[in-house]
Amino acid sequence: MVVGQAAVPRDIGILEWLFDSQSWTGANGIVASLTDTVILCTIVMAVAIVTMVPLAAWLAHTRRGEVSVSWMVTLSRAIPTFAVAGLLVPISLRNGWGFEPWPIFIALLLLALPPIFLNTYTAIKQVDPGAVDAARAMGYSPANVLFRVELALAASVILAGVRVAAVTVVATEPIRAFLGGDGLGRYVRDGLGQNNDSLVIAGAALVAGLAGLTALSFRTIERVALPEGVRRVARTATRQE
Amino acid sequence: MNRPVLTMKKLIALLLAFAFVFAACGDGDGDAAVDGPTIRLRGQDFSEAVTIAEVYGQYLQAKGYDVEILTPAGFRTEAIDGLRNGELDLIVDYIGGSLTALAPDAASSSNPDEVVSVIGPAYEEIGATLLDYSPAVDGDALVVRGDSTASTISDLADLGYVFGSSAQCFERPQCFLGYTDPAIYGITFSDTVTIDFGPLLGEALAAGEVDAVVWNTTAPQIGEQGFKVLEDDQGLHPAQNIAPIIMTAVLDEYGDQLRDDLNELSALITTADLLAWNTETDIAKRESDDVAAEWLETKGLTS
Repeated sequence: MVVGQAAVPRDIGILEWLFDSQSWTGANGIVASLTDTVILCTIVMAVAIVTMVPLAAWLAHTRRGEVSVSWMVTLSRAIPTFAVAGLLVPISLRNGWGFEPWPIFIALLLLALPPIFLNTYTAIKQVDPGAVDAARAMGYSPANVLFRVELALAASVILAGVRVAAVTVVATEPIRAFLGGDGLGRYVRDGLGQNNDSLVIAGAALVAGLAGLTALSFRTIERVALPEGVRRVARTATRQE
Repeated sequence: MNRPVLTMKKLIALLLAFAFVFAACGDGDGDAAVDGPTIRLRGQDFSEAVTIAEVYGQYLQAKGYDVEILTPAGFRTEAIDGLRNGELDLIVDYIGGSLTALAPDAASSSNPDEVVSVIGPAYEEIGATLLDYSPAVDGDALVVRGDSTASTISDLADLGYVFGSSAQCFERPQCFLGYTDPAIYGITFSDTVTIDFGPLLGEALAAGEVDAVVWNTTAPQIGEQGFKVLEDDQGLHPAQNIAPIIMTAVLDEYGDQLRDDLNELSALITTADLLAWNTETDIAKRESDDVAAEWLETKGLTS
């Protein structure tokens, strides 16, 4: 058997393709593509959270670099993800690192960092100073103030930042298919190349579906993980923004 | 109460001003020496096709035809659709490409006359006329690195190469399906990678990410980077001479003069010209319209 894409008939219906079991199985099936996408997005989000939450928390806790931080975040939001990945691909190839994963990983990471950083920083800075002072007065160590008061009260807004980042990353990851990779974007790419509208629309629906599902899962996590009091604080904070 | 910001007088003055501006714009190029409808021409969106469109467009303009060269967009499908829905009057395509688009089930042939005998009538069905094809050929090419042991496509059969091409190749009988079909080449590739058609194919090949890519014979990077075009020993690739296709209604308005002018130009373009244009646009990064204008001037086709 030859490795490669089976050609999808051009006159296939959108639902017909989506409900065909052949579309889901095999090396180029939806399940395999979905797995590729989810794995990459998970790694990107893990790295973004592990680096940004502690950094932003520490900067906010010590009130350092407020102006430079806000400028950097604003500028980083202006980075065109596709252009970054597209520029990195030839560089990666010339250095023998291949099409994947570095170019798309770096581009997606740059996309995920700002919302997580900004939300963590803002959330911790906005914690009621009264609560912090009270904790200090009761003899909390600086570490305890950060972990048991500031981070606890800020958790909801931090999680909201993580959710925004995750949805953006999942919705953007399909550009990888246009840069020598695969993943869930492959159906849109193949559909465009083969002039197959059904494939384009079904592929786009899959991407949108996954992004929606991501948003929903994070909402559920926020609801389950946070106590009612913290959520109320967060709601008030969001309303004030 | 509310005072109107724009009084009726001001409004009329504004409208008049706009009317003058637009009237002035519309008068741009009314010095056509040949009477007839405007010929709308649009190149496909890759550098060689853009230059070809500029060459045909500027040539006709110099001859006094009223030509509008539209911003390049889309590929073959969009070009043929443009003829069908009356958006375009003239396109220039590769005849083998037209064959795969208009008659996907027809047998492909490396003889241009056989290809033309199929696509000529197919274009007539959509009200367009295929004019003489040019000796200039930009064929499909299966390209490998210079150090590959293969010299024909058949040689790849058992090498276990990684195959790279754009998405459309994977569903075409003259491309991936033909290479892997046991009745034609029967090649077993160890993996496939989908890469946008263009310079990235060369980058991927040079980096060893893929071992064979589907490119075109006039890609200047092939020579620059020391790649090798494999011989199509089974004659799978169709003849890919370039040829203009014009809406018959427009052609009839102008009569034989337009036909003769276009055929004269097509006969002058060679494969070496295509390669030279691509080297200018892709390697030296010059603008297609300048490259086209320069070529026409050297050939003495523009006064």
